Amino acid sequence: MFHNLDARSPIPLYAQIAERIRLAIATGALAPAEALPSVRQLATELRVNPATVVQAYRDLEAQNFVEIRHGAGTFVRELAPGRRARERASQATALVRKLLAEARRMGVSLVEVQKAIEEEVGAKTP
Amino acid sequence: MSHAIEISGLKYRAGSFELKDVDLHVPTGSIYGFLGPNGSGKTTTMRLVLGLLRPLAGRITVLGDRMPEDAPRILARVGYVPEQPHLDATLTVRELMTFQAAFYRTWDAACAEDLLNRFELDDHRVFGRLSKGQKAKLMILLALAQRGDLLVLDEPTDGLDPVVRRDILTALLEYVAERKATIFISSHLVHELERICDWIAVMDEGRVVTEVPMEKLKQGTKRLVVAGAPPQIGETPFVVLSREPENGASERWVVGQWEPEMRSYFDGLGASLVDVIDLDLEDGFVELLRGFRASRRA
Repeated sequence: MFHNLDARSPIPLYAQIAERIRLAIATGALAPAEALPSVRQLATELRVNPATVVQAYRDLEAQNFVEIRHGAGTFVRELAPGRRARERASQATALVRKLLAEARRMGVSLVEVQKAIEEEVGAKTP
Repeated sequence: MSHAIEISGLKYRAGSFELKDVDLHVPTGSIYGFLGPNGSGKTTTMRLVLGLLRPLAGRITVLGDRMPEDAPRILARVGYVPEQPHLDATLTVRELMTFQAAFYRTWDAACAEDLLNRFELDDHRVFGRLSKGQKAKLMILLALAQRGDLLVLDEPTDGLDPVVRRDILTALLEYVAERKATIFISSHLVHELERICDWIAVMDEGRVVTEVPMEKLKQGTKRLVVAGAPPQIGETPFVVLSREPENGASERWVVGQWEPEMRSYFDGLGASLVDVIDLDLEDGFVELLRGFRASRRA
């Protein structure tokens, strides 16, 4: 779930961690009522500041994705199906934006990107 | 916000080396990264914080007490890992643990045993015969087992292999998660600090170049590609750290304290902003130093 966190990115690590968890909740990889790892566990696993994990969990709680029960842990909340779909859509949009920004920087045209996507999709689904 | 370390107007001199009006504020509970080239004054500052050197002027407060006046009370609560191992090479790991424990009322023997196992240290071996990585692990063990509220770590993982670095880092992060302790850490391993620090200070030539929350430093330092800018510009809403011609008519600017709204500044200048490129901590650090040195020479 947390592979290629990028400490060098200007997107803060807590935001990256929260984003991965949101996506896991949206796709169902994390089920409702499931417990997230403890702050200490996740901080040492990812080798980040524990405060970074706390911040990520707090943001997720503020957005109603998880519930922090003091002394017990952090648990995934039940999401309305519409909200899960919206979350996946917003992740897809973010991916496309990243791709387009990179293409612009490299001087690759929109038509070329579209063509490449069609070819890739065709190649992956024979 | 309370500060684990507060330094103001600190001056110190040894030979031709000088610390000039150093101000630092290490927030309680933070992991505070201390960057700077070799000889910039990081180790000297750390030694002043610990009362190992006497300042010429200035005020140092550590965990609410004054250094050097309250040194014993402060040092009872501070774990220190110096750049060079300072332990007796003829004593065994076990003897060194016993020796260290005698000085600290808060010594946690269970924690020491746990780290001894996890670090896979042989307690019968004498210090002088340990590998570099084993020495570093033992120093961390001694600093952590005394259960201090502040850890002062002078390049604790520099020059170590990745496995040892990971073991040490994990132990430090667990300690912080458990104890809410403050860590004041210097290192040349910028990418390692980038993952764990919430504050960064940069030193150069005995002065503090900047002291800033990590996020602010990373989000505010950018490389801009600018076309059509006049050679002379007046006030800018951001800090121009450097300005260099690129191929063609465009220039590369490195700026600090950048905000996305500042794009409109270039319209007023009759120039165009072609691109905004993110910098990581290492790039940002190098550019800050270059800007600092250029402004001092100007």
